[in-house]
Amino acid sequence: MEPILTADNLTKIFDEKGKEKFTAVDHISFQLYPGETLGIVGESGSGKSTLAKMISRLTDITEGNLFLCGKEITRVKGKALRRAYEDIQMVFQSPAASFDPRRTLGDGIGESLRNHGVSKVNVQKEAVRLLKECGLSPEFADRYPHEVSGGQCQRAAIARALAIRPKILICDEATSALDVTVQQQIMELLGRMREEREIACIFICHNLGLVQSFCDRLLVMYEGKIVEEGTPDEVIKNPRSDYTKELIEAVL
Amino acid sequence: MREDKKTPSVRKLRVRKSHIKTRLVLFLLLTAALMLTVIFAQQICPYDPNAQDTSISLQPPSLEHLAGTDRFGRDMFSRILVGLQTSVLSTLCLVVIITVAGTAAGILCGYYGGILDSVVMRISDVCLAFPGLVFALAIASLLGGGLHNAVFALAVISWPKYARIARSQTLSVKNTDYISAARLAGGNSIQIIIRHVLPNSIGPILVTSMLDIGTMLMELAGLSFLGLGAQPPTAELGNMMSGGRSMLQTYPWVIIGPGIAIFAAVVIFNLLGDTFRDYLDPRNSRRN
Repeated sequence: MEPILTADNLTKIFDEKGKEKFTAVDHISFQLYPGETLGIVGESGSGKSTLAKMISRLTDITEGNLFLCGKEITRVKGKALRRAYEDIQMVFQSPAASFDPRRTLGDGIGESLRNHGVSKVNVQKEAVRLLKECGLSPEFADRYPHEVSGGQCQRAAIARALAIRPKILICDEATSALDVTVQQQIMELLGRMREEREIACIFICHNLGLVQSFCDRLLVMYEGKIVEEGTPDEVIKNPRSDYTKELIEAVL
Repeated sequence: MREDKKTPSVRKLRVRKSHIKTRLVLFLLLTAALMLTVIFAQQICPYDPNAQDTSISLQPPSLEHLAGTDRFGRDMFSRILVGLQTSVLSTLCLVVIITVAGTAAGILCGYYGGILDSVVMRISDVCLAFPGLVFALAIASLLGGGLHNAVFALAVISWPKYARIARSQTLSVKNTDYISAARLAGGNSIQIIIRHVLPNSIGPILVTSMLDIGTMLMELAGLSFLGLGAQPPTAELGNMMSGGRSMLQTYPWVIIGPGIAIFAAVVIFNLLGDTFRDYLDPRNSRRN
């Protein structure tokens, strides 16, 4: 099977004037296949969020190549990048901060459709339908981000990410800012969406326990490098690196 | 006990909030009255502001001539009204120009960064390096007198302030997740700036420009007073005061009338600006 996304030696070096060079992501390669869920686990500062931003091209890639369905998108800009965003979408860590405080949730959810020339009336209908799919009632379309709870906002963020029908969904610590029960609900929602829409998912998390049942494959990152790779069971039962062992102990 | 202590502060906050609202309405009404006077100055002035009649020159205020007459026998009240119109309209024009130009420059610099940012910010440094009014004087005298040139000179020295505010606002908005989300939604830079960056950074800029109306009115009148603004016989508050300054002791109404007009206009605009700032201040309001 053709991989849907291929990362080939992705490297990010922060090289700011007056500061020491810092390698946040160090030659990371992996493939993502259609419909599979890839978990990326690591502690804060291990480079997983930077990696997510590189894959979604929100930050520049210093070295290496990135392919989407066989086409290189490492340095594409403008129109070509916008076309790539039809296939790659992202759910952010902090739900309220990922919506413009001056626009309604409905506006935010419909923005990608509006950008693709869908008429205003149809965008509104679609936003309401998406909200319903994600377990929110239609009146949430007219609410502002500060008027809803974190869990509700994250549901809206998922609705927004799914609006354009992407092939890849990147969840960057999508449940970290939520409390445990809401976390579970969001995981269920993501799981359901993944099944229904056959989306490939990159699930970034620092909690090994949470990804165990959710992911098909697991990468463990430490200081910008991949230290462990395999199915969750393999990784958890036979950890090879010391860092992974520490992570597992932390969960138990 | 703690509950009891808490109640008055909440009530105080509400009272302050409603207090600000009343003030805002009051000053908005005052400003509206001022603006109506300014707009219809030509229609409500009792005499032709430029008609000379030396037989009635330098008469003190009376029922016939409410603010007296100047040395050419022109009715001061009519001239003050028309002068107010010239001053206020050119000031508003100036403030709009610097707000729009400064904000546009600042947002583009903040959003795109790079060479554009360096170049524009260095130019603004140059404009800020000289004492404001002195620099404006230099530009105005270089261009020659005239109201347009005075407005231009003041615009050159005052746009950098807006550019800097807009730039710093844009820099803080640019790195938020909702801008990332807007990029993922497939918006191009112009769409993102108009939909997300501008609405989220415009607040402090608007407050600054409202507070600046009074200052600019004074500075424009100042340039005219020095002979670099409106040229006679155009009635403008600054040059009217300048024309009457030698008669301050003998015929004080010639200079006091325009002075009061400037004072009143500046106070009204400043009070409105202050109240507007208080109104938008998040510490005085709980966003509902």
